[in-house]
Amino acid sequence: MAEKSPAARSTGRPPSAVEFRGVVKRYGDVEAVSGLDLRVEQGQFLTLLGPSGCGKTTTLRLIGGFERPDEGSVEIDGEDMTRTAPFKRPVTTVFQQYALFPHMSVRKNIAYGLKHAKAARSEIDRRVGEIMDLMEIRDMGDRRPAQLSGGQQQRVALARALVMQPKVLLLDEPLGSLDYKLRKSMQFELKRIHGEVGATFIYVTHDQEEAMTMSDRIVILNRGRIEQDAEPREIYDLPKSPFVADFIGDTNLLGGVVSGRDGEFVTVELGILGRVRGTSDSPLSQGDRAQVSIRPTDVRVTPGAPGGAVVTDAVLAGSHVTMKIAGDGEEITAHVPRGGAFAPGDHVRLEADSERARVFEVLD
Amino acid sequence: MATGPAITVDVDGRTEKPGGRPAVRGGLALGLPVLAWMGFFFAVPYFMLFLQSFWTPTAFGVDHTWTIDNYKEVFGASSLVGDIYIPTLLRSIKVGALVTLFSTLLAFPVAYMLAFKVRRTRNRMLLYTLVVVPLWASYLLRAYAWKVILGQHGLFSSVLDTLGLSGTFLSDLLYSEAAVVIAMTHIFTPFMILSIYAVLERLPHNLIEASKDLGVSSFATFRKIVLPLSLPGVVAGATFTMGLSSGDFVAPMLVGGESDVMIANQIYSQFGATNNWPLGSAIAFVLLAFVAVLVWISTAAEKREQI
Repeated sequence: MAEKSPAARSTGRPPSAVEFRGVVKRYGDVEAVSGLDLRVEQGQFLTLLGPSGCGKTTTLRLIGGFERPDEGSVEIDGEDMTRTAPFKRPVTTVFQQYALFPHMSVRKNIAYGLKHAKAARSEIDRRVGEIMDLMEIRDMGDRRPAQLSGGQQQRVALARALVMQPKVLLLDEPLGSLDYKLRKSMQFELKRIHGEVGATFIYVTHDQEEAMTMSDRIVILNRGRIEQDAEPREIYDLPKSPFVADFIGDTNLLGGVVSGRDGEFVTVELGILGRVRGTSDSPLSQGDRAQVSIRPTDVRVTPGAPGGAVVTDAVLAGSHVTMKIAGDGEEITAHVPRGGAFAPGDHVRLEADSERARVFEVLD
Repeated sequence: MATGPAITVDVDGRTEKPGGRPAVRGGLALGLPVLAWMGFFFAVPYFMLFLQSFWTPTAFGVDHTWTIDNYKEVFGASSLVGDIYIPTLLRSIKVGALVTLFSTLLAFPVAYMLAFKVRRTRNRMLLYTLVVVPLWASYLLRAYAWKVILGQHGLFSSVLDTLGLSGTFLSDLLYSEAAVVIAMTHIFTPFMILSIYAVLERLPHNLIEASKDLGVSSFATFRKIVLPLSLPGVVAGATFTMGLSSGDFVAPMLVGGESDVMIANQIYSQFGATNNWPLGSAIAFVLLAFVAVLVWISTAAEKREQI
């Protein structure tokens, strides 16, 4: 982490687009970002994910230059830009509410940055035309932002940021105010555009599904610190903490006692689910208290005898049935295929799809 | 209720009677007291004034014979006083324009600071109060205050005396058009600040960030984003200031010289000492026409901005 980026290049690591070293940002007494070390490789689609107040937007604003860190340094494209003004950074932003200039036409909005960079007239026209084609908003050049739908404004905001050919594009929950279907299609659209322009995308969202769909890499933030930094699949399958397990997808977090350990595999005795085997990064040994995360899709439900677990609720959720099952003072959520569902009141037996569970230390 | 016509409530929670236009009749009822008040104390007197401007003045009052001589006189066709009203009107417009210009120049930085630079709510409230406090004192009082400052043996002239500058061009400030402009600029600047601040306050901050994000410096951002988007506030404030200051008669009376009378002073004297109400009415309507054109232009300008 202490390497300078020229050294990084010579060691064969891809050059960094953004690098944070020990960045701290405080608002009064509150630390929004606490000692953040983060390296974003060029061309990556990285998502900063976390609940509101986790520091993800502050992190984005530190890259954009709208906030200055209280400690640490921010490097962009190999240059220290900790104190560089926003308008001198090779970074552009798609703002949460789009921030389109209401008094300018779509075309003028998009050409705005180029015009002030004193680009030649023909150059401006060519690049604005190209980006409008890419964003499929070619016919809207003369309209004002107020005459566009949310999805169209979104595209204009993207075009305006991308036409500057930034090294890094920052996206601050850009799909937040679109309806579900449009959001879905824009997610794939953004992936496509990322592939075509080749810039580094840093995306902020609190929507884990959006993060899973689009990113090469997800950084999960909680209270200004990184909880986990990994590829989407790893984040989902091998969460590093109960927080991550709970935040990404649905999960059951259950308390139990460790009964054995075999390398990375730990066996835990859970009341309702019996003996469960799962992987763990923590130094747990026999007799320790542990917390286990089991995805609802990894819970197997079979008919059981009276006295065991009882189905308390079963709701059709489209492709599967979400069942709530109570027993032993705990409640478990299971997703089962529509054919294999039970009705409330049925007695069932529960089993965990072993090896897929994650076991964590209980910290207190 | 059960037997009455069905009332549907739409998503906004407004009640709508089937087939009828909602709210309009209710709105009319609510507006009626104001309409009656304005009609009786505003429209009726204006109409009477308008009629009066076509009547014939006599030595002791008014003769109800229709004439357009009053307007002829306003436009300088009188053998008695010659062409004095239109030049006075033009000078009034010039004074109004100067007051508007200076108060805009003074008000904009304050409004900008209030909206963007003063971060702490407490400091902003303090500054805002400082802007508003002068409005609590009567207009007349503030105009008199300027008489104390600029008048004979006033603050300004004693400072000039102390500095040995009396008798220089600076002394000409007393009882001059400049004094009238200074006094009225002071009086109208708070209105201008409030009107510009109201617009700047609602200007989304992320537009400024977006501009800088696109590589545009702070000054260019101000010129291309903040200034154009604050125009509606400037236009509203300018219309207000221009209308009121061109038609003012207190400031010219108190701090202006004999040659600095404005059009409202002329009207005032027609209704007072000269006792020629029809002529006064005619001058008033020419002034009113000017203000109406001004408001029309500013409304048109604002509409263009909003597209």
